[in-house]
Amino acid sequence: MRRGGRIWAWFWMVLGILYFFLPLFATFWFSLHAKKGVLSFLAYENILRSRAFVYNFSASALWAVLTIVVGVLIFVPTAYVIRLRVPQFRAPVEFITLLPFVTPAIVYVFALVRTFSRPPLLIVDTPELLIAAYTILCMPYMYSAVDTGLRAIDVRTLTEAAQSLGGGWGIILFRVILPNIRVAILSGMFLSFAIVMGEMILAQYLVKPAFAPYMAYLMQQKAYEPAALAVISFALTWASMGIIQFVGRGVPGQAQVAAGH
Amino acid sequence: MAFLSIQHASKTYARNAAVEDFNLDVDKGELVSFLGPSGCGKTTTLRMVAGFEIPTVGKIELNGVDITNTPPNRRNVGMVFQAYALFPNMSVGDNIGFGLKIAKKPKQEIAERVREMLGLIKMPDLGNRFPYQLSGGQQQRVALARALAISPQVLLLDEPLSALDAKIRVELRYEIRRIQQQTRITTIYVTHDQEEALTLSDRVVVMSAGKIEQIGSPFDVYNFPKTPFVASFMGTLNQLRSRVVDAGSGKLALGTQEFRTSAPVKAGATDALVMLRPEELHIGVQEGENHLIGRVESVAFLGSVVRIHLKLGESVVTLDALNERKLVLPKVGDDLTVSFPPHACWVMG
Repeated sequence: MRRGGRIWAWFWMVLGILYFFLPLFATFWFSLHAKKGVLSFLAYENILRSRAFVYNFSASALWAVLTIVVGVLIFVPTAYVIRLRVPQFRAPVEFITLLPFVTPAIVYVFALVRTFSRPPLLIVDTPELLIAAYTILCMPYMYSAVDTGLRAIDVRTLTEAAQSLGGGWGIILFRVILPNIRVAILSGMFLSFAIVMGEMILAQYLVKPAFAPYMAYLMQQKAYEPAALAVISFALTWASMGIIQFVGRGVPGQAQVAAGH
Repeated sequence: MAFLSIQHASKTYARNAAVEDFNLDVDKGELVSFLGPSGCGKTTTLRMVAGFEIPTVGKIELNGVDITNTPPNRRNVGMVFQAYALFPNMSVGDNIGFGLKIAKKPKQEIAERVREMLGLIKMPDLGNRFPYQLSGGQQQRVALARALAISPQVLLLDEPLSALDAKIRVELRYEIRRIQQQTRITTIYVTHDQEEALTLSDRVVVMSAGKIEQIGSPFDVYNFPKTPFVASFMGTLNQLRSRVVDAGSGKLALGTQEFRTSAPVKAGATDALVMLRPEELHIGVQEGENHLIGRVESVAFLGSVVRIHLKLGESVVTLDALNERKLVLPKVGDDLTVSFPPHACWVMG
């Protein structure tokens, strides 16, 4: 590369890093000023000691885990069957899975409230509805992650090879397909985790405890703690990404599926 | 009774017939190749035997048992795919032992069988490697060992050498034949490569447009093709549109030059399509043979043979002359006399 080109490459890289990290660093720096005149982790201590934080954080974590379980159970077999048996349905199904992107959350939640607050399905105040709603919200991430993983392997031939060796559907799915798309599923799981942890509107309007409404509430009440909470939220997301990389590392022949947030 | 019997099998997709009225009996220990161009139905037929496709009409029997509707995982049929299909998350040893593990065989038995299979494919020390650490040829050997490890009743190979380079393909071809003869396993081999089919098979099934054109030994199919398709598909073939001079005595003519065929010519026919293999044509006059004079159009040196294109009447024929030191190469535009025995000519139509 020419010298001029290298300088520009560095320039754009540094600019990109500053763009992403400067606000984060500013938030972190601000969160350290809870005690007047000195730098301290007081805001972090206040949050981690708060029972409301623990309650709302654990509630969101629980919703996230349940959403992931339901999502995996629904979308992994669906994506697999579509790739294997009805590939002609891939495009319409992909379109359907992207619908949550174009439906504003507020419209979505009002539709849910209106539909499920009257017979025959009076379930508006049940956690099941919240989980179902979160599953739909996470559908684009989970489905596309799994589909990308399946695209990286020759699903049909691997399935047929396992069948010819005596494998039934359970064995094929759990011993052949799932281990080869493990990283993709993990990507979808952690993306879903991050989405649910940061989701506010559904939890607020379906009146359920959750991390994001608590954060919004805290922002109206305090100054330094919301900043600390934002940093904690970022740290959790990055930790999730780290786990994906760690678990996916050294999986032979497996395509790494990029996960973004 | 045949070990594997395919009876009147047809497969239709939305009114398009992929395979039509396929009938074949395969004996135990026999290696039969399905040979034909892309889309002729050879892989579909193989997949019907494997159980991945159910025949629209017809029946498949294996060792006297009707398996037409048996799911693929209950047929005990080993399959080797063009794309190897090794499980990327498993080592070579685990791949080979996969079928035995499913069959819940004891660990020690699996380990012994894996060792035996690794020996059979001459890769005794590579059991711990992963597929991505192997070459294409090695991966296909492992796929073969994996298919054989479960001691299947029939081994099905779907263009197993197509993805490999020419040299490995030839090596592995002989390896497959060696293993098949060593294990005496009934095998069906799908290929579009006629040389591969002729080298490997006990019998060849030549297919075109979903139908069987001819079934026979490699020698018969090559030397005595029953249809124009088989004749043209099996190797290079010269086709000479000739005038019938005397059908009874087999006298034909190309322009003003007459020649004879020992093949029967349809009585009353005015013209006939004569087929000649390039290797049956010889440069110069040979006693007791037909000889014709043509004009040299091109000369190509191919190493062991010299390929000459010659204009004979309205047709251009290919002649393969053995590359001998005494051979005098003709020049383009020269008149060249070629000879061929009357029995080398087949007459179609």
